[in-house]
Amino acid sequence: MRDPREALEAARRAAAQAGDDGVDQAPWSLEHTPITMRQLVEWAIIEPDESLVYSTRRFGRPITALKRLLIHILYQYLGQISAQQSRFNAHLIARVLQLEGRVRALEEAVSASSEPPASSTSRPGDRST
Amino acid sequence: MKVSQVLCAAGPVDAVTNQALACRALFEQWGWGGKDYAALSASGVHRRAIRPLQALNAAPDEFMLLHYSGYARGLERLFDSRRQSVLISHNITPARFFWDNDPLAAVRCELGREQLAELSRGVGTLAGVSAYNANELRLMSGRTAAVIPVLFERDRLPPAGDPPTGPPTVLFVGRLAPHKRQDLVIQAFAAYRQRQPDARLVLVGVPQSPAHLRALERLAQELAPGAVKFESAVTPARLWDYYRSAHVFLCLSEHEGFCIPLLEAFHFGVPVVAREAAAIGEVVGDAGVLLGDDDGIIEVAELLRIVVGDTELRAELRARGERRLAAFDHARTAEKLRKQLMTLAAT
Repeated sequence: MRDPREALEAARRAAAQAGDDGVDQAPWSLEHTPITMRQLVEWAIIEPDESLVYSTRRFGRPITALKRLLIHILYQYLGQISAQQSRFNAHLIARVLQLEGRVRALEEAVSASSEPPASSTSRPGDRST
Repeated sequence: MKVSQVLCAAGPVDAVTNQALACRALFEQWGWGGKDYAALSASGVHRRAIRPLQALNAAPDEFMLLHYSGYARGLERLFDSRRQSVLISHNITPARFFWDNDPLAAVRCELGREQLAELSRGVGTLAGVSAYNANELRLMSGRTAAVIPVLFERDRLPPAGDPPTGPPTVLFVGRLAPHKRQDLVIQAFAAYRQRQPDARLVLVGVPQSPAHLRALERLAQELAPGAVKFESAVTPARLWDYYRSAHVFLCLSEHEGFCIPLLEAFHFGVPVVAREAAAIGEVVGDAGVLLGDDDGIIEVAELLRIVVGDTELRAELRARGERRLAAFDHARTAEKLRKQLMTLAAT
């Protein structure tokens, strides 16, 4: 076979014959799934995880150890910073929740006002309710 | 002529940084002066080669080249109505790929797109490293945008060497990030491995985040235990060895602004199987097998089997890859860049 397009067609035919072999395939195109409020709340409070300290260098172990030591030494300062950030995050989430509640209430009010009142189906002169 | 270059971020193994350094080498060759600056610099970047942006004290008529690759504070002030400037877009990954795993990166991408749109309306000339990028710039700004491809310094690469002899090896080179879709590469490889049990997969790239690396390692362990190798910190020599020992280069990225590893694969004579997404199709041209939107991992697995096993097809793809590299000839791209800058300087 010399033509790449021919190869692709052959692969497609073979795939059609093979079926999916029970393979659980990830989506070919990724779509963004909105983050749930629960996830946001979980992320809001920062808890530094020492295991996330790493180095991608070839001989990175001593560098990783040094970084961890620095974190230990600066523990008090890092705690202050993360507390400050966590407080901001928590207030922001509270504000988002509050706004969501207001939007929901407004949507309900709008849909209630756009619904035709029960009497509108009555004919003029019909006084029954 | 004096041209200062500005980068949004610089890193020791960053493609955009390498581009800026390659441009600087050309400028020096042409007898042009100027310095290079970055808004952010990772460790390992030589401060003499790329200085902090704060050190830039540009005269209003100074000629500037902005390599745009992501949000950086203060660029608007620097480039607002600066007619003597060229913006080259190296592309920004759409934020949707990062919201789930790395929201901060997603925020940066969103900010970057907004900033790029604003900058593209104020700078002198626009260019993208691919037609895909240039088109994005056109849509953002309503102005024309040229295509100045990546300067591919083929002379710096060692010779391709003999065809690989070891077990069938699938290779992908690129940052371990959601939009590069290494998850699909692992799945397709696992399906291929059912047909070829001794096959192995090598994924070379720095992880976007430790969490993403762990997720990929878990997937690899589950679907193809012991057959997938992750390499995050490789020397150039080791990377070239990986290309030499690969039977096929598999790129299933959903978004790429250019993808230099495709050209490297062509150079090393590695047949390319890639998904036709973003700029990938225009870089690969007719030199690889391009998968469509309706294909899936079974099609990829079958294709890997065919490409690895068919010697005639392999030879054809190698020859086409070699021809394709002519379109990215260094001298040709350098001339295009020079013309673009000279035209701007003359106005």
